[in-house]
Amino acid sequence: MQTSFTAAQLRDPATAAANQVLRTCVHCGFCTATCPTFVLLGDELDSPRGRIYLIKEMLEAGRPATAAVVLHVDRCLSCLSCMTTCPSGVHYMHLVDHARATIERTYRRPWHERALRALLAWVLPHPGRLRLVLAAARLARPFAGLLPRGGMSFRRVRAMLATAPGRLPPASPLDGVRVHRAEGPRRFRVALLDGCAQRVLNPAINDATIRLLTRLGGEVVVSAGAGCCGGLTHHMGRHDQALASVRANIAAWSREITGNGLDGIVVNAAGCGTMLKDYGFMMRGEPEAEAASQVAALAMDITEALVKLGYAPSRPAPGLTVAYHAACSLQHGQGVTDAPRMLLRKAGFRVVEPAEAHLCCGSAGTYNLLQPDLAAALRDRKLANLCATAPDMVATGNIGCMTQLAGHGLPVVHTVELLDWMAGGPRPG
Amino acid sequence: MSAAPVDAPGDEAGVAAAVRAAWAAGEPLLVQGNGSKGAMLRPVQAARTLSAGALTGITLYSPQELVLSARAGTTVADLTAAVAAKGQQITAEIPDFSALFGSTTAPTLGGAVAANLSGPRRVAWGAMRDHVLGLRAVNGTGEVIRSGGRVLKNVTGLDLCKLLSGSHGTLAVLTEITLKVLPVPERRAALVVRGLDPVRGVAALSAALGSPYGVSAAAYLPAALADRVPGLAGASALVRLEDFSSFVAYRSERLRADLAAFGPVEVLDEATTLAVWAAVRDALPLVGETGAIWRVSVRPSAGPVVAATLEQAFGARWFLDWGGGLVWIAGPATAAAHDAVCAAAHAAGGTWMLLRAPEVLRAAVAVIPPEPAPLAAIARRVKAAFDPKGILNPGRLRAGA
Amino acid sequence: MIAQLPPRQDVLARRDAIVAGLRRLLAPDAVIAEPDLLKPYETDGMSCHRQVPLAVVLPATTAEVAAVMAFLHREGVCVVARGAGTSLSGGALPMQDAVVIGVMRMNRILEIDYADRLAVVQAGVTNLGITQAMEGRGFFYAPDPSSQLACMIGGNVAMNSGGAHCLRYGVTTNNLLGLKLVTVEGEVVDIGGGHLDAAGYDWLGLLTGSEGQLAIVTEVTVRILRAAEGARAMLAAFRANDVAGDCVAAIIASGIIPVALEFMDRPAIHACEAFAHAGYPLDAEAMLIIEVEGSAAEQDDLLGRIGEICRRHDPISLRISASAAESAAIWKGRKGAFGAVGRISPDYLCMDGVIPTSRLAEVLRRIGAMSAEYGLQVANIFHAGDGNLHPLIMFDANEPDSFDRAERFGADILRLCVEMGGCLTGEHGVGVEKRDLMVVQFTAAELDQQRRVKSAFDPGWLLNPSKVFPLQVPPA
Repeated sequence: MQTSFTAAQLRDPATAAANQVLRTCVHCGFCTATCPTFVLLGDELDSPRGRIYLIKEMLEAGRPATAAVVLHVDRCLSCLSCMTTCPSGVHYMHLVDHARATIERTYRRPWHERALRALLAWVLPHPGRLRLVLAAARLARPFAGLLPRGGMSFRRVRAMLATAPGRLPPASPLDGVRVHRAEGPRRFRVALLDGCAQRVLNPAINDATIRLLTRLGGEVVVSAGAGCCGGLTHHMGRHDQALASVRANIAAWSREITGNGLDGIVVNAAGCGTMLKDYGFMMRGEPEAEAASQVAALAMDITEALVKLGYAPSRPAPGLTVAYHAACSLQHGQGVTDAPRMLLRKAGFRVVEPAEAHLCCGSAGTYNLLQPDLAAALRDRKLANLCATAPDMVATGNIGCMTQLAGHGLPVVHTVELLDWMAGGPRPG
Repeated sequence: MSAAPVDAPGDEAGVAAAVRAAWAAGEPLLVQGNGSKGAMLRPVQAARTLSAGALTGITLYSPQELVLSARAGTTVADLTAAVAAKGQQITAEIPDFSALFGSTTAPTLGGAVAANLSGPRRVAWGAMRDHVLGLRAVNGTGEVIRSGGRVLKNVTGLDLCKLLSGSHGTLAVLTEITLKVLPVPERRAALVVRGLDPVRGVAALSAALGSPYGVSAAAYLPAALADRVPGLAGASALVRLEDFSSFVAYRSERLRADLAAFGPVEVLDEATTLAVWAAVRDALPLVGETGAIWRVSVRPSAGPVVAATLEQAFGARWFLDWGGGLVWIAGPATAAAHDAVCAAAHAAGGTWMLLRAPEVLRAAVAVIPPEPAPLAAIARRVKAAFDPKGILNPGRLRAGA
Repeated sequence: MIAQLPPRQDVLARRDAIVAGLRRLLAPDAVIAEPDLLKPYETDGMSCHRQVPLAVVLPATTAEVAAVMAFLHREGVCVVARGAGTSLSGGALPMQDAVVIGVMRMNRILEIDYADRLAVVQAGVTNLGITQAMEGRGFFYAPDPSSQLACMIGGNVAMNSGGAHCLRYGVTTNNLLGLKLVTVEGEVVDIGGGHLDAAGYDWLGLLTGSEGQLAIVTEVTVRILRAAEGARAMLAAFRANDVAGDCVAAIIASGIIPVALEFMDRPAIHACEAFAHAGYPLDAEAMLIIEVEGSAAEQDDLLGRIGEICRRHDPISLRISASAAESAAIWKGRKGAFGAVGRISPDYLCMDGVIPTSRLAEVLRRIGAMSAEYGLQVANIFHAGDGNLHPLIMFDANEPDSFDRAERFGADILRLCVEMGGCLTGEHGVGVEKRDLMVVQFTAAELDQQRRVKSAFDPGWLLNPSKVFPLQVPPA
C-alpha cells in the first residue's frame, strides 16, 4: 500500500518500521473475516484493515491521536488472528504496538480511564500487589450490585469484580526464585518464566510445569531479577514501563546464559511467550539488542519444549474428552498449533476442537477489564462453541483464557496440568 | 396465426434492415425462428412475421475450448449432430416440444435460447441461459448489439445474454449465439425406484441429488403417466448418472444402497435410459392430453403439494422433473383450471407458465405471473430501452407489453 | 488518479443535513461521518484508487436499507454499495458526493434447506461462511473466488464472482435462485426464490454482475451442492508455457473436465512457493494444478488418464497429492497468490482478462515483451480451463510514475485480450479500473444499449456512479 511519510519522519526508526509494515499490506481485506471485533461489530473501522488505515493516517499526519482513532485501536484485542490470515505477511503486531505507544504519548485519556490503566499497570505485574487487590475485590464483590447499571467505567469495575476469583489458592511451596533439580541425570537446563498474575491466580500451572520438566531430566531455574514479561504494560502502550520489565528479564537470563548456561527459556503463559519471542525486535537499536535476540531465540512455549524433550504419559488413558481452546497468543502470536493437540492426544485424551477456533475468547490481557462488553460477547460465543463439542473439560495454554472461560459450567484447565496428571502428577483440581 | 407474410433474411444485416423498416413504420413484428413454438404463450398481433430461420450455420466450433457459435436459425438437430461428431453435447439438453405442440417445423437454437428451454439436466448443470456465452441480436430500432463473447468467463458490462435468453423475442431478435458445450459422457444409466407416493418419491430424488454421486437428472412419474413411457411401469422415481463407465457402475451401486430405504432400485440399460429421459425432456407422457398444459416451477419439496392440489381441483395429469421442482400439468383449458394452477404455484412460492392452450384462453389470461408494481415499472422501461416503439412480439409475454 | 464525475456541489453543500437525516434512520454507530473515520472507507481491494465518501452507513436490516435508499433518492444523493471491500477493480470505490452503504452488519444465515438444496443468506455473509455453516453435512456453495474467506455474497452477486472451480460448477450467476433487492427508490422487491428459472424476464441474471448499477442486494438465495466424495490435486511442471497450454487443450479434448485447471508461470510459482511452501517446482517455466473429484478409485482413474496426457507433453515433474493436507497446501499457494505477490512487491495490479485458451502461449509471449518494454515485472496466474488470465503487474507506488506505467501496461494487456477474441474481465468486474476500456470491447450502440438498461432501473443515475460505463452524460 502506498504511504506518504516525509524523509524526516522516516528517520525515526519506529516510524520507519511502521512504514515497512504498511508497505507490505496490499489492502486485500482477508484479515477482516477472521477479526473478532469485525465479526461482532460489522464496521471496517473495527477490523485490522480499518485499524491499519487509521494508524497509517495518524502516523502520516504526525498529529496527536484523536478520540475516535483511540476508540477503534483500543477495541483491538491484539489476538493477531489477522496475522495468521494475512497472505502478505503484514506484521500487524508491531504496527499496533507502535500505535498504542503513540496513543499513550499523544492522547490524554479521561481521568477515570487514566486512573484505571495506572491501577492495572501498577497491580497486575506485581504478585504481591495483585494478591492484596484481589482480596479486597473479594470483599467488595457483594456490593457490585450497588453500582449503577450504565456507564463504561462502572461496567469495567463490575467486570473486574466478576473476574476476581472467589478464593485465592495459597502460594505454592515450589514458588519463588530457586533451582529445581532434575530427576535422575540432568539432560538439559532451562529457565522458567514464572510470571506475575498467573503465580497468584493459579500456582498449580507452574508446579505442573516444573514437575514435567524435572521428570524429563531438566534442571529448572527461576532466576532472580526476572519477573513480568512486560506484556501487560506493553499492550497498554506504556512503553517505558514495559521496557523496564524487558531489560530486567534480559539481564537476569543473560546472567544464566553466561553462567550455567540455558537450553531454553520456558513459558507456560502463551501471552508472555509471544512477548518474549519479540524481545529482539523490541530492543533493536538498543545496547541490549544482541542479548535480547538471544533471549528471544531461547524462548519456547512449554508444549514446544515437551515435544522436543519427548513427553510420555505413565498413566492409562483416562477416557476423557478434552476441548482444546487455542489461545490466540499461542496459535496466532507464536504459530504453535499442533504441539498442544499432539501432546494431549499422546497423553490419552480424546481431543476435540470448537468451531471458530481462530476467534479470541475475549480475555486478551487486560481487554476483558477494559472492554467488558465486547469481551463478554466473545466469551459467550466461545463458550457456546466449546459446549457444542460436549467435552469433559477444556484445556488451554494461557491463564488469561482460563480466567475468562472459568465459572460457566465447563472445567477449564491448563494443558500442562493434564499432561502432568497423565505423567504421574496430581489430578487437576 | 402466421398467415402474415414471412420475412426471413439470410443474414444479420437483412434482419437489421427489416427491423429498421418496421421501426420506421411503427409496424409490429412477430419474431420467430421456424415457428415451432408459435403456439406457446400469448398470441402476437402483427402484420408481418420476421423469421431468423434462414440465418443458419455454425460459425465457430472449437471443441478443445468447449465453445460453439451458430446463427440463430440453425436447427437444434443440426447442432446436436455437429457436436456429437466431436464427442460433445449441448449441455442444456434442449427439449423438443414439436410433439406437444403438434408442430412439424424444426426447432432452432435461437428459439431454444429465446424461450430459455432447459431439459432434465437443468437441475444439476444449469438452464439454457447458463450455457449461453455470447450472442448477437438486433434490437427494436434495428441496431446490432452483442453481449458476452466466445470465452467461458465474462463479466464485462451488463449481462444482456441473460436478459435476452428467455425474453421470447420481445426485446431483440437473436441472430447468433455462442454456447459452452461439454463432452458426451461415456455411459448413462437411469435408476428407478417404483411404487413410491409423490412425497416419498421426491424425498428419494432429494436424497439422490444430495448424494455425492453427481446425479444429473431426477424426475417422478405417477403410475398413470409412467405407464405411457416404454421401459417404465408404475409410479417411478427416476434418477440419472452420466460419466465414465466404471464411475457409473460404482455410483449406481452406491446409490442403490443409499436409496434402499425407499425400496429396491432398478438400473435401466443405456438404450432405455436414453429413451426414458428423452420422454421426460419432451414431456411425451402428456402429448396425448387434450386441453391445456402448464409448467410450474417451485421448490422441489413443494412439487407434490402443487400436484395434489391440482389433482383435486380439476383432475390434473402431471409429472415432476428437476428433482420435483418442475411440475408438468395437463388439464382442462378453462380459466378456472388456469386460476387453480396460478393459485397453487403462488401458494408454493413458485412461478408458472401456461405453455399450451387454445388461442382464446392464451389471449384471455396472464400466461406468466404478474410482477410486483416496482418491478413491472422497471420491466416496461427495460422493454422500451430495447424496443421503444414496442414492435417486437408485442403482447407475447403479457397483454399490452 | 482516474477521472470521476464532478461531485454535485449542491449535495456537498447539504452534507450536514443529509448526515442528520441518515442519523434519524439508523442506530448512532451505524452512521459514520467524521473525516478521520471515513478515511479507511476511501478504497477497497484496489487501493491505488481512493476517494473519501460523503458518509458511510451500516444498516442492519433490509428495512433500514430501504429507508436509507428512499431518503437518499428524495435527496438526490448517489449511493455506493459495499460488502467486504475486496473488489480488485475498484467496484466499491466511493465518490465524494456519495453515501457508502455497507452491508457487513447483515451477516446472518436465514435458512439452510438441504432437501431442496438451497440457502438464504443476508448480503453480508461471507462466501466461505455459507460453506462453513454447512460443515459436517457435506454441502457447499460452489463459486470460490480467491478472496472467499472475506468477500461477501452481496459483492459476489454484484460482480458475478468466479473462482478456481467454475469450469465445473459455474460462476455466481449459475448458482443463484433468488435475490431480495432494494430499488433506487427504496422499494423492496423479491426476485426468484426457492425455485429454478423465472417465467418472464431473467432479472436474476441481469442483476448478477451488474456492479451495483441497478439495485442494492440485501438477501440472496443460493444453490447449495453436495460435495463429491473427495478431491485430489496434481501438479504438473513444464519446460515452456506453450507446452503447458497444449497439455490443457489435450486434457479437455480427451473428454475430461477437471474441477479445476490452474496455470502459473515462473514468477507466480516462485512467489506462491515462498508463501505456501507447497513444494512447487521452482525449475519449471509453467505449472498446472489439476484437480479431480470422486471416490478414491475415480480420482486415481482420472489422475491416471490426465497423467498419461501430461507425460506426452514432456513434463519436468508430475506430482499427485497423496493427502488432503498436501492438496490443501497446493491450493494454499494458489489461493494466496495475490497476497503472496505482496511479499515480493509493495504494490501490484491484478488484471483479469479472458482469452480463448488456445491463444495462451501467444498471449504470454506478448505480455513478456510488454513487461520488458514497461520495465515492470509480471506474474501470470491463469484459470486455464476457462481462459481467465490474471497477470499481476508489480510496481512500487512510492516511486513516481510507477503506478501510471503499471496502469498503461495493464490496459495494453486487456486490449490484447480483446484482440485475441476474449474480454476485459472474467470475474473481477469492470469497476472503475476498466471503465474507460469498455470502448475497446463494445461499440457505441452496444454501450448505449447497456446504459439504457441502467437508466430503466436507475433513471437518475444515483447508483455506483463513475463505474462500468465510460464517463459521459447518461442518455435520456
